[in-house]
Amino acid sequence: MKRIYVIEDLCNGCRLCQSMCSSLANGVFGDRARIKILKIPGEERDIPIVNCDGRCVRCIYDDGVPTCVSLCPTGALIYATQHEAVELRLKYEAARKVYSLFKVVAPWKWPLPFNLPAQQPAPKDGE
Amino acid sequence: MAVRDNEVQTILRVDLSTGKVSKETLPEQWTRQHLGGRGMNARLLFEETRSGTDAFSPENTLYFGTGLMDGLPVGHGRMSVACKSPRGTVAEGSFGGFFGPELRKAGIDYLAISGKAQQPVYLYINDDTVEIRDASHLWGLATDKTDAALRQELGDADIQLRYIGPAAENRVHSAVIMGNLNNSGGRAGCGEVMGDKKLKALAVRGTKGIRINNYDAFLEAYRDYYRKLALKTSRDPWTPVWSASGAPVLARLFTDMGNLMTRNAQQMSWDNDKAMAISCEPFLDHYVTKAKACFGCPWPACQKLYRIPKGKYQGFKGGNYWAGQPVVFASLIDNSDLDLVLVISGLCNQYGLDIFHVGFTLAWAMECYQKGLLTKADTDGLDLSFGCPNPEGIIDLVRKIAYKEGFGELLALGCAQAAKIIGQGSEKWALAVKGQELEAITERNNYMVALGIAVSEVGPDHTRWYPPYPCNPNLIPQKELEKLGLDLDLELAFQGRNPKEKGKLLRWFTISRAIVESLPGCVFLVRDTLGLDMRPWWKLFRTASGVDMSYPEFLTSGERLMNLDRAFNIREGFRRADDKPPYRMMYEDVPGFGYPRLEPVFDGMLDEYYTTNGWSLSTSIPTAKKLHELDMDYVLDDFQKLGVEVE
Repeated sequence: MKRIYVIEDLCNGCRLCQSMCSSLANGVFGDRARIKILKIPGEERDIPIVNCDGRCVRCIYDDGVPTCVSLCPTGALIYATQHEAVELRLKYEAARKVYSLFKVVAPWKWPLPFNLPAQQPAPKDGE
Repeated sequence: MAVRDNEVQTILRVDLSTGKVSKETLPEQWTRQHLGGRGMNARLLFEETRSGTDAFSPENTLYFGTGLMDGLPVGHGRMSVACKSPRGTVAEGSFGGFFGPELRKAGIDYLAISGKAQQPVYLYINDDTVEIRDASHLWGLATDKTDAALRQELGDADIQLRYIGPAAENRVHSAVIMGNLNNSGGRAGCGEVMGDKKLKALAVRGTKGIRINNYDAFLEAYRDYYRKLALKTSRDPWTPVWSASGAPVLARLFTDMGNLMTRNAQQMSWDNDKAMAISCEPFLDHYVTKAKACFGCPWPACQKLYRIPKGKYQGFKGGNYWAGQPVVFASLIDNSDLDLVLVISGLCNQYGLDIFHVGFTLAWAMECYQKGLLTKADTDGLDLSFGCPNPEGIIDLVRKIAYKEGFGELLALGCAQAAKIIGQGSEKWALAVKGQELEAITERNNYMVALGIAVSEVGPDHTRWYPPYPCNPNLIPQKELEKLGLDLDLELAFQGRNPKEKGKLLRWFTISRAIVESLPGCVFLVRDTLGLDMRPWWKLFRTASGVDMSYPEFLTSGERLMNLDRAFNIREGFRRADDKPPYRMMYEDVPGFGYPRLEPVFDGMLDEYYTTNGWSLSTSIPTAKKLHELDMDYVLDDFQKLGVEVE
């Protein structure tokens, strides 16, 4: 079953998800949201707390992906099955070791293709 | 949960002298005329400040303004701050973060702070509670300490704060207002005025929800807007580069183009290796610890927190390495040590200093030292050669500027004032307009930039017409382009070193950016076609505010703001002669690259700008016809009372 997973390191604390989520039901932008970003001032962390089963009140792009996940600018939110989420997490961990750009944005959110060493086929013997 | 309507705009007036606090609703008519944010601030300032008011008097009011889009995910937490500048002009600045939305959630859209406190105070707002509290224990603290102390004291980790550092308390030239540790704004003099009022900080907590009535239409408009800015769907090649690596990426590009001000703009190109050392790649690889963003931003990493990993300054923490620092703390003073750049930049944030003031004044002093106008006897024994042979001394000098100690007292005046004291021709390399230091953007090979910096009412401020390299007009079909009311030849206008059409282009940019800041929105987010095509902004505003206005009417509000700013300066005695670039840009050629001086082309561009604006050619005063057209008869009346001759 698909649900919302979080990569904490990527969250930049913009609260776009929280703000949009709060408004989806009745058009009031407030604090009543199923996802909240805990900000710790002075620390280099922002922590998204999800209290949602992934069945969105209203998907902004009508593609079955919850609004918060569609809008997340860094790719910190993932809508996937547990197995897919693990794969994505591993992909992210591998990417950030190669290009430090992926310290701030997830590889699947970046528009240009980067050929990660891990993605290239292993060289065959004798080549 | 309490809910507020988005349409009503409320102002909270605080008189620090008497401690009186009152709340009122702003006329609905003003929302139509000025939208909100910067526009509304300009109107309030014009109406409520008399001409000739001393900037450091209780009568000078400091306005903080949000707008109808703040608190919604479009406003990006921008808010505008305005007052009369100590340099006589209108002072206006804007900052991002989370303060604006929080203020709106507390049911307040504008703050007008007048009077002067006896003791240092801070303002505490918690929904409907407003208190002026004692801040003696915070006075003199650096901004990061203030931040921590206030959060501790109020027992709320998530409270939104705006505060000033020691620089503003000591009324150092160009001191800024800070918030969230790394968001700064108001370099045109707002920080100095806040310090003079002995107002150390603002603290806001709001819990009300903001209701918009036309939610479905808003969501529809937002969907299109977000597509234009999201990394994957934006058609602007700069969007991903800009949002993830930031402006330092330009350092190397600019030095190839002869666009990087080096050694106080004596040269326009730097050593490629040096430019590489301070570029975004080493920064991202070794320094960045965390990306940050303002409220609801569709871009991932405009702001970055950094920590210096090794060396002398190991463990130094700071935030934001953007367009300014790679120029003013690197090429301008010929320093290629990224550690030093980041330390100075971090210290500026902690003291609440303006980086452009520090950078350009330091570079000015270095050139004086180079030419023998300043010696070690003047600089407290510091070797002020270009290249920073004594980095410790430079770091100490930044502290001295903030506290006005020793040699720092001279530099704390800003380079224009300091040049007047030193004299001997040093005015020629004091790079300032209207008493305010330049910014990192260069002028001699982009004529629109030169014009924009010269005519800007607050002194150099590139956000009034950003970006100078606009979107590809081919993204908009020809048929659509005709509907936008641009009225200029885009082909000619986008040629950097062709003086034709520059006045018209600047006029368009000034108007459109004025609108973006009035909504408010972030002027860095005019990517894709959003810089030329204002209709997405118009749709967002219409649906969010419920104000039904036509597209031409929407554009007129920006023009009104441009004229209002100009009118304020006219009232204070600024005329055409004040609209000119610094001496160096105007009369000196650049060796090597063959970029000519601006003198032969500048007057023609200025004429074009004034003519298309409907301003007087000889004085730059808006004509009576123009003011009447814009429903600004109150400005005419004011001019008549003061005896300003209007054509």
